[in-house]
Amino acid sequence: MSGTRWGVVGGVAMVDQLPNLGREMEMLSVMGMSSMDDLFSDIPEEVRMDFDLPLRPPQTEEEIIADARHLLGANVALGERVNFLGAGLYRNYVPAAVFQLINRGEFLTAYTPYQPEVSQGMLQAMWEFQTLISELVGLEVSNLSVYDGSTAAAEALTCAVRIHGRKATQKDTIYVSDMLPPARLSVIQNYTQGGGITIKTLAHNSDGSLDLDSLKEAAGSCGIYVEQPNPLGLIDGGLSSVKEIIGENTAFIVGVSVTSLGMVEAPGNYGADIVVGEGQALGSPITYGGPLYGIFACSKAYLRQMPGRIVGRSIDVDGKEAFCLTLSTREQHIRRHRATSNICTNETLIALMGAMHMSLLGPEGLKHLACRNMAATQMAKNKLSEVATIALPHMELFHYNEFVVELPGSASECLNYLESNGLIGGFDLSAWYPGRKNWLLVTCTDQTKPAEIELLAAHLAVWSSSKTQEVVQ
Amino acid sequence: MSHLFEHKGADGKGYSQPEPILSVDSLRLPDSMKRSAAPRWPRLSEPEMVRHYTWLSNRNFGIDTGFYPLGSCTMKHNPRVNEVIAQIPGIADLHPLQPEHQIQGLLAIFHEMQEMLAVCSGMDSVTLQPVAGAQGEFTAIRCIQEYFRGRGELGRTKVIVPDSAHGTNPASAAMAGFEIIEIPSREDGRLDLDALRAVVGDDTAAMMITNPSTLGIFEPEVAEAANIVHEAGGQMYYDGANFNAILGRTSPGLMGFDAVHYNLHKTFSQPHGGGGPGSGPIGVRSHLAEFLPGPVVKRRPVMPQDSLTNANNEWWYQWHFPKNSIGKVQQWHGNAGAVVRSWAFYRRFGRELKTMSEHAVLNANYLRHMIHNIAVERGLDHLFCDGAPVDVVKHEFTLSLAPLKEKSGVGAMDIAKGLLDRGYMAPTVYFPLIVPECVMIEPTETESKEVLDLFAERFVDILAEDPEVLHQAPTTTPVRRVDEVYAARNLTLAHPFEEE
Repeated sequence: MSGTRWGVVGGVAMVDQLPNLGREMEMLSVMGMSSMDDLFSDIPEEVRMDFDLPLRPPQTEEEIIADARHLLGANVALGERVNFLGAGLYRNYVPAAVFQLINRGEFLTAYTPYQPEVSQGMLQAMWEFQTLISELVGLEVSNLSVYDGSTAAAEALTCAVRIHGRKATQKDTIYVSDMLPPARLSVIQNYTQGGGITIKTLAHNSDGSLDLDSLKEAAGSCGIYVEQPNPLGLIDGGLSSVKEIIGENTAFIVGVSVTSLGMVEAPGNYGADIVVGEGQALGSPITYGGPLYGIFACSKAYLRQMPGRIVGRSIDVDGKEAFCLTLSTREQHIRRHRATSNICTNETLIALMGAMHMSLLGPEGLKHLACRNMAATQMAKNKLSEVATIALPHMELFHYNEFVVELPGSASECLNYLESNGLIGGFDLSAWYPGRKNWLLVTCTDQTKPAEIELLAAHLAVWSSSKTQEVVQ
Repeated sequence: MSHLFEHKGADGKGYSQPEPILSVDSLRLPDSMKRSAAPRWPRLSEPEMVRHYTWLSNRNFGIDTGFYPLGSCTMKHNPRVNEVIAQIPGIADLHPLQPEHQIQGLLAIFHEMQEMLAVCSGMDSVTLQPVAGAQGEFTAIRCIQEYFRGRGELGRTKVIVPDSAHGTNPASAAMAGFEIIEIPSREDGRLDLDALRAVVGDDTAAMMITNPSTLGIFEPEVAEAANIVHEAGGQMYYDGANFNAILGRTSPGLMGFDAVHYNLHKTFSQPHGGGGPGSGPIGVRSHLAEFLPGPVVKRRPVMPQDSLTNANNEWWYQWHFPKNSIGKVQQWHGNAGAVVRSWAFYRRFGRELKTMSEHAVLNANYLRHMIHNIAVERGLDHLFCDGAPVDVVKHEFTLSLAPLKEKSGVGAMDIAKGLLDRGYMAPTVYFPLIVPECVMIEPTETESKEVLDLFAERFVDILAEDPEVLHQAPTTTPVRRVDEVYAARNLTLAHPFEEE
């Protein structure tokens, strides 16, 4: 071999990705041009980049994989440890068929289905997704996903203001749970501040249930947002009386944990007007918190102000069943600055993973999954309650996926101890509630094994008794 | 047909789950909290489910299926190595609340991407948090809003957008609370500086521009536009939807912009997934950096107490919350999976991202010329005209089919449907609105000369096609033209169980 290899640039063969490499002159000559520079003659000199990009040379695929394994292999994957970290994202098992099918290029490499005749697959899949979600939460309509649970909550609140803003006695005011994780609240603040919306908070009783007396203040506002289970895993039976208290003209918005609805009542059945949530636990790995998919469902009264894309069933010119995007006049590409949201690209592929997982579960499989999550949570509560030196507040209440453990020392110190023993022991709640230095949020899922719970209990017993002795000394 | 909701098998599941680790009887959820009626979900065995979704995939068209010249969307090939890397447990099985020392490798990749995007765009700081282009726009406009609030310039309430802008621009700025001033384009499709001068003032917060514009042409007076806006005290925002055209040739920084978003799902090959997930990082000049959503990744040389891994024997990576951050726009750290895929894409090209852009522009210009040349040869060039009369375009070009429409009644939509019958995805049609009967074609750098040659032939074939055939098209697709009015008038947004 001698001379330069064909299609090589920067020392690396690139013709696999740039199929016209080496044929530039042939193509330029068709246009009466003689140099690649001619293609950029329209860029005025004063804004031209007159230096090479100060970046590394190109790599081959094999080198990239090696580097990726090197870098990503240095991370601690949850599966390598005994794991009790959740706090809104859950490591449920996702069946193999989901991962196999989602890589089909017809789904993976398609754009938004603007040409319905050749996009029936994704359109129908998303219409089915809408049905699955609508059935899951007990409301009439669903869109085909927003970015995540936090933006879903934020979009629901602005939607509520658009619906009720005019008639509300508390104009432009919404109420949100005072327990929301700060990051979720921050997203809500960013999305609502532009509309001049005032956010007030809803108080909770000492056991973590919503304070229904203080809820009365929210009547006449545009909407309220609470979560079921709440951010500490508590299933709050009191939510069934919320709609009666706030009344018809205030939107009742519930953020759900999607798998819990296999056991826990669907919010649509206790008066919710909009249900949102993080869809991830159905169909998707956690992937460091993204991509996820937010679910957004509502009653028909809210449909015209709903954000995001919606698929409708229709017919083609032969009268055959066909699907297409519908109600597009709500959207930015038509309505521009008067659109219900700026959302364009959403999370369709991850929502499709959700639809696939839901299809495999069926109603009984969902219930079974919810039971497994709740059973693991209950077993952990039982075991940890046997550790004398830690406390489980409101042990008698019902928790899903997670619960609080009150420690005799700081949660961050405890987590360090647990990590040194190979456990990711949970979440230090002082990051959400700065006053709660000793609160640990422990999460269990369908993947949690009894032996892991035993291990956590044993290590917590050792650490907490050493802390208790420190206090005594 | 395969209908998901027609599958009503026996109780059970498409996959078998182990029993709960505690007896269900011991859970005792009170009746008042218990689900009263199960969702009416279908019941499928695994083979039924696999067949259903395989059948659906056969009714969908992706880049893998065929040429996808959808203007403004940069439908380039999605290298499969990206997908392999995204499945590595060190990204797929990570939790965003894990401490820094457990994720040094991921933070190293984030840092590399922040730096690369800053370098390519001439910006000083980058956040990877926004999860889509529109969210990037919104985030950057929020940063600009807080910048002015911090300076006490509360009267800057207006955002200027050209009428050729993507719909997300005005929608994002309006969501942040700004009033939108739309300025008309010149007759040749370019930015009208006089119109801009007429509207800027001490109430201007920002101007949002795409360059190359949605016509695929470079705005030669962009630097002057930046001067006008800056002199009025406003900020310049670069919509990075068309960034694929300019890497290594110019940058938003050189053009005078203060903030920019990048579409990793366009320029950096994150697959579009039928509508997402995307990723829309933003870059800003230093005066806006303190407002970025947090946290962003910073690094420092390693110190003795650091726990070292393969990923960080030189640098220690850590999260940093900007001083006056607007907070969060997504609860966690954005679409990390998309960032990792795009990192793999970046590594494939490195500094040859410039070559990538050159080939995107080469292909667009070549295809434009081939369509013209073939049309001239066949005496059909009177049936269309350029959306913008220029010598060179960037990564995409527009044609107006208004002459064809006038002559034979065949419009852009008919041509689009005719292309579907020939095995192509249709180009973008009727956008931008300023070009009548607009067809917007973006071939990207990953299509070979042979594909472009054949497409040019087929495109010109269609111009000469019997109008009646085109009005009827498509006829070879899974369904024929779908009645969108019927869909809107007979809203059926979920499976109608009551019809059963």
